[in-house]
Amino acid sequence: MGLQVPERVKVPMRLPGGGRRADFVGLLARLVLGVVLLVAGALKVTSPAASAMAVRAFQILPYDLAGYVGYAMPVVEILVGLLLVAGLLTRASAVVGGLLMLAFMVGITSAWMRGLTIDCGCFGGGGTVTAAQTRYGTELLRDAGLAACAAWLVVRSRTAYSLDQRLFG
Amino acid sequence: MRPDASKKLKAADPKGRNKAAAPKRGPNPVVVGAVVAALVVVAVVVAIVIGNSGKSDGGSGNAQPVGVVGGEGGGIGVNAATAKSNAPTVDVYEDFQCPACGDLEELMGAQLTSMAKAGEIKLVMHVLSFLDGNLKNDSSTRSANAAACAADAGKFLKYHGAVFAAQPAQEGVGYTDAQLTAFAGTAGITGAALPTWQKCTDSGQHAKYVTSVQTASEKAAVFNTPTVRLNGQDITKTLQTPEALVAAVKAATK
Repeated sequence: MGLQVPERVKVPMRLPGGGRRADFVGLLARLVLGVVLLVAGALKVTSPAASAMAVRAFQILPYDLAGYVGYAMPVVEILVGLLLVAGLLTRASAVVGGLLMLAFMVGITSAWMRGLTIDCGCFGGGGTVTAAQTRYGTELLRDAGLAACAAWLVVRSRTAYSLDQRLFG
Repeated sequence: MRPDASKKLKAADPKGRNKAAAPKRGPNPVVVGAVVAALVVVAVVVAIVIGNSGKSDGGSGNAQPVGVVGGEGGGIGVNAATAKSNAPTVDVYEDFQCPACGDLEELMGAQLTSMAKAGEIKLVMHVLSFLDGNLKNDSSTRSANAAACAADAGKFLKYHGAVFAAQPAQEGVGYTDAQLTAFAGTAGITGAALPTWQKCTDSGQHAKYVTSVQTASEKAAVFNTPTVRLNGQDITKTLQTPEALVAAVKAATK
């Protein structure tokens, strides 16, 4: 159909100065954070008891509350991951994803500083490991990178190929 | 071309909750807040549903097996009556499906048993069941219940040894009911004691006790198996040889 022309004209008018490139940075941030959350949630969602124990191993929250957090975490991760991958309600999803990353980083730092030797259980597993098996530095760096993805999306939630753009313009 | 988005809008938001976002300005703070709140609600609901289903999961019986020490969810005191009064306490936390526990049993089992028999240690065995969740079977709980039933017959350690001796090479294969019964024979549960044991095992008589041991152990910060504690201190990593255990116990005996 001949109606494609106005569509093409619109973009440079609305986003002068490399706006489109930023859309693709946003797309990358959205997919990285979304896919990691989706995978992390999917790996844990079928064994809620193990997820609960992984949270308890941090020894931060009281026993029962830690269990509830462990049960809910995989489901929330999957939901937020799906929204991000689809680019639906991007800013809100990024807020939740970013808060999750900050919470994980606080937990890991706290475990590290208290001298616990645990696996974060981020992708299943979890619990006590030997001191040589801890990977706190790597885990923190990874979560910091993901938090940066979230921060980008909170500040600039417009991304390429998003449902948000399709639905809300 | 950009097709009319109103249909998609409706599909994505059938309740029309996000009407404020419909104007072509992208998501606004109200939407962001609403989505965050909705996710929190989902999280709370999921947590409560799974949390409650887990609690009623404990099986039919809640009778405590013979020899439990240390109150609710305590381990089985193998030689509580015969240990010397100055003997240090050795707490062993194991899951029958944990391969590293099988290794520990192979390396330390005989030493632990002989020291317990000699009364040189107060041996307390905590049989955990968390691997059921990881491995998606029920063999840890069933075998732990069967071992608790063996404790009623005064054969806990022998049953425990028989289970580990038959541990499958591949983690997750688990134990059949027939295997659990065969272990009773190996452990020397015979005569009148056998039908009692069988009934206890089949009915999951100690299933709630098994769950309570898992809970109590996590509250005691045991998040991995095997864990061996000498007078409360974790010595698992030092146990490379039976001699290391002997030396540690000697040092802890006053």
